[in-house]
Amino acid sequence: MIGDWIPSLLGGLGVSLKLTALSLGLGLPLGLLLALGAASTRRGLRAVVIGLVELGRGTPALVMLQIVYFGLPAGGLTFSAFISAGISLALTTGAYTSEIIRGGLQAVPQGELEASSALGINHRDTLRFIVIPQGLRVALPALLGFSITIFQATSLVYSIAVPELLGKAYSIGSETFQYLSVLFLAGLMYAAITIPGSWLSGRVEHRLSRHV
Amino acid sequence: MISLWTAIWIVPTLVCNRIQFDPDFPPEVPVSETKHLPGQTDRPSESAGAVRLTSLVKRFGDHVVVNDVSMDVAAGEVVAIIGPSGAGKSTLLRCINLLERPDSGIVDVAGIQFDAATPVSGKDLARLRRHVGMVFQSFNLFPHLTVLRNVALPQERVLGISRTEAEEKAIRLLDRVGLKDKAKQYPGRCSGGQQQRIAIARALALGPQIMLFDEPTSALDPELGLEVLAVMRELAAEGMTMAVVTHEMHFARDVSDHLVVMADGAILEEGDPDRIFTDPEQPRTRQFLRAVLDR
Repeated sequence: MIGDWIPSLLGGLGVSLKLTALSLGLGLPLGLLLALGAASTRRGLRAVVIGLVELGRGTPALVMLQIVYFGLPAGGLTFSAFISAGISLALTTGAYTSEIIRGGLQAVPQGELEASSALGINHRDTLRFIVIPQGLRVALPALLGFSITIFQATSLVYSIAVPELLGKAYSIGSETFQYLSVLFLAGLMYAAITIPGSWLSGRVEHRLSRHV
Repeated sequence: MISLWTAIWIVPTLVCNRIQFDPDFPPEVPVSETKHLPGQTDRPSESAGAVRLTSLVKRFGDHVVVNDVSMDVAAGEVVAIIGPSGAGKSTLLRCINLLERPDSGIVDVAGIQFDAATPVSGKDLARLRRHVGMVFQSFNLFPHLTVLRNVALPQERVLGISRTEAEEKAIRLLDRVGLKDKAKQYPGRCSGGQQQRIAIARALALGPQIMLFDEPTSALDPELGLEVLAVMRELAAEGMTMAVVTHEMHFARDVSDHLVVMADGAILEEGDPDRIFTDPEQPRTRQFLRAVLDR
């Protein structure tokens, strides 16, 4: 019985992982862009970016999902459920990680920026070679932690019928009425990813603390 | 993990090439049209490598840190700037490469003239920074790059030379400051004295005509300070134009050609170091020298 569920649930887990990868792949670069905008010296740009970030962080992930899936088609933009899920989680990821990354960028000591400036290295190169590499390194453990959270948040997209892990478990439950067992099994599968993930992020934090 | 790193790295790197961002940077000079104002001062510019500061004023809020200071550094000359804390020595030095933007006055460096009243173009600023190397009290090496990359990267980005060429030159310079064997290490694994010598090599790699030293040994214990001072003495002996803010009185007396004593944002007196050390004109200078020499 449980053996019959496993292939279906693993398929759902695969979808959850793909969705996580899509959300992070789009969301982390977005987070970096927003972080750079929020740290800009141009006041107008900074205000707009910080406003967007606060809006993004203030909107629950489930609401963001509904806006993209049900709201955007009204504006003529229709995506598949999977793509809608990816876009909405990417937006949430971007908003949250931008604050994490901004903290990392601002942890780069002022003296290094002065030295870079005194050497005649321009702003863009200073960002590219000095600030961003170090800032991301500082932010990496927190970003890994957030990645685990977003993996768990993919369970929300069962509400728009994406066949991910929770969706699969739910449909098995509705056929067999063994909700407890199948949801417990799904929970174990989430944990099988998140627990090693947390351990990895702890390791990374430990390793990175050696250099910078 | 590698793919995650790649994902978070590649896109911003690409984007960074297209979009102009400003991080919260040290105050930069606004970029606008260049205005060279030769002949604005009645004193003509000397040969390349010289610094001439005219009536420089720098305020932080209401506090006047540098108050109407004029100072020359001739090509090949070593000028030491000494004085009590808060005298404005470092601020004055930082005005030379416009890390601090003076509120009024004229900075004339290596034949490029900057008037405080006129905005400086990014191009002129880049030219100025190429002519002037700076060494900081806190070294300010880039901790995520190896020693070799610390010295090579600025050459690649500022001079536009190839990585191979830059690294060869970096090795030569590291050898010169006695740290060739540290090339593959990270700065964090080097002592303070070694880090400061690396910082000197990093600045020299860009071929500056003038070197500014802002209390280069103040963060070092005395023994490590000596190895930095030795490099600086060598540099002076080779004829590098240098302006050095320092609390190292022996260095100031032995190595400098010209001594400037500052207090309260102004120059108390200046001239031959031996003369000032043996027979200062100003009572304030005498008081300061007694305090630092009698310890």
